Parts: sequence; C-alpha cells; structure tokens
Amino acid sequence: MLRFAAIVAVALVFAAPAAACAHPRASQSYLDGQVMCPTCHTTLDMSDSQAAVQIKGFISQKIAACWTAKQIETALVRNYGQGILAAPSHTGFDLVAWWLPIAGVLAGALALAFGVWRWSRGREPDEPSEPAGSGLDEETEQRLDDVLARFE
Amino acid sequence: MTRSLKGTAQVIALACVAGLLALLVWQVARQHHAPGVGSMAPAFTLQRLEGPGRVSLAAYRGKPVVLNFWASWCEPCKSEAAVLERDWTSYRDRGVVFLGVDYHDLSSDARRFVSAHALTFPMLEDGSGKVTGSYGISQVPETYVLNRQGRVVAHLAGPITDPGFAGEFRSALARADA
Repeated sequence: MLRFAAIVAVALVFAAPAAACAHPRASQSYLDGQVMCPTCHTTLDMSDSQAAVQIKGFISQKIAACWTAKQIETALVRNYGQGILAAPSHTGFDLVAWWLPIAGVLAGALALAFGVWRWSRGREPDEPSEPAGSGLDEETEQRLDDVLARFE
Repeated sequence: MTRSLKGTAQVIALACVAGLLALLVWQVARQHHAPGVGSMAPAFTLQRLEGPGRVSLAAYRGKPVVLNFWASWCEPCKSEAAVLERDWTSYRDRGVVFLGVDYHDLSSDARRFVSAHALTFPMLEDGSGKVTGSYGISQVPETYVLNRQGRVVAHLAGPITDPGFAGEFRSALARADA
C-alpha cells in the first residue's frame, strides 16, 4: 500500500507541469522553424546568433508559462513586426504569397498538358495513306509480267 | 492558330522574365546605405522604450545629436553603455542630445538593459529595424554624430570604447557642437 502511494506521488510530481497547461504545450522546435532571426534572415533553428538565442529564450519562457504558439507569435509580431514570421499571414495582400505559387504550378501544368497534346497530334498521320502503287510505267510492268510468266 | 498561340506564350514568358528583372532592380534600388558624412540624417519617429509617446528626430533640429544604435543581446553594447552615459552627463549641459535606438530586440530585455546600466538618456525602440535599416546599420553598436542642421558629422561602425573610435567620437562631438 505504501509502495503504491509512493508510485502515485512520483507520477503526480512528473505529471504536474504537463497538467498545468489547459492545452497541449507549444513546440519549441516548431516555433524555431516559424520565427525568423531578425539579424541573420534565417529561421531561428538555423541560427545561433545572439539575437536568435534571445528569441529562443523568450519562446522557451513563454512555452513554460503555457502560452500557445499563436500567443507567442502575436507577441513577437507586436515587438518585431510581421517580418519576424517566416511565413506570410493568411489575410489581405499576404494571401498572394500563398496563391501565386499554386497558380504558377497550375499554369505550368496546363501549358505542359497543352504542349504534349499538340505534340502528340503533330505525330499522328493526317489522313490514311493510299495504297502505294508499284511506281513502274505500263510498258515496264508488262515486260516484268512477261518475265515472271516465263518462270511459272 | 498554332503560330498565334506560340507567339502569345513567348510574350507571356518574356513578360515574366521582364517582371522578375524589374523586381530585382527594385530590390537593389531600395536597399539602404549608410548616410555619408555631410548628408542629411534620415528622418524618423519612434516609440519611446520606456513610457508612452513617440520621439521625432526633427524635434532636435538645432542641437547636436548623438544617435547610438544598440541591442540588449549585443555584448560590446554593454561595455559601451557606461561610456555613453558618462559622455551624456558631461555634454548635455552644452545642449548635446543623446538618443539610444534599440534595434531588433525584445522590449522587456531592452528595459532591463537600460535599468541595469543606469542609462538616463532617451531610449527609442525600433523592433522591426526599419529606421535602423535606413541608417544602413548591419551590426550594433553603431553611432552617428549629427550637427545642428541634422547632417552627419561622423559614423562610427563599432563601439565608441574602441581605441580607434574614442578619439574620433570626441572630435566629432566638438565639430557637431561648433
């Protein structure tokens, strides 16, 4: 019984920090890939500059304080501006950045499909060809028939 | 039909290339370069780091201005802070204005830095780095000394504690104050 109580107590100690948040904790590695280092213009996970280390520390603190990824990103945008995020937002003019590549890929696929269609049509014969003639004039044909008749 | 389609495709392809070239030229053209000595310092208005309100550089026209760009994560800024504060206290009676511009920094860390180094000259925050970019700053600390007309007298791309810059800083202050 005492042993069971001890196990439960240890489990509660380890479970307490996780249970402290009402929602799943934000991931440091996810945010490090979503946030830019303002001085080196790469994402945080690709930088060890002093500015990047500072922001990583901030994210880590806020994760420990149960902030959501969205809340952390909002705080960073308030401090550094929209440029701190690696990806543009999904609203307003920023939507162009999301749709333009898709439109480009679609346009490319359509152009490719059209090109293949044109190419394959170009290779097909336009009309069935007429049976080819012997190409010999009548006199030669007659002589050829005579020669062949001699062999029969 | 085929010929006109081919022509249209070629025009579209050329337009795409021209568009990309224009984008490249625009990007290169809008890159900021450090304002040279004798040129006007880029105007700006920034939020105060401590307390509400905004500060405009134009408000200090008629006074020599020392514009120091720093960040709390910057190691050399720590040793420079004490020297700047000392110079500020000795020059402010002569009407010289010191302005600190905190760049690409967390406001909370920047305030802690100001408090830890007991800095008393006005501090402004440039979290997005737009103003800092207009001064061509690529690393901190960097300091500009502006004369009463708002023209650049000196640009020190490094800590003023650096032996090479300390003398230049004093001489620039004297020129700006003249």
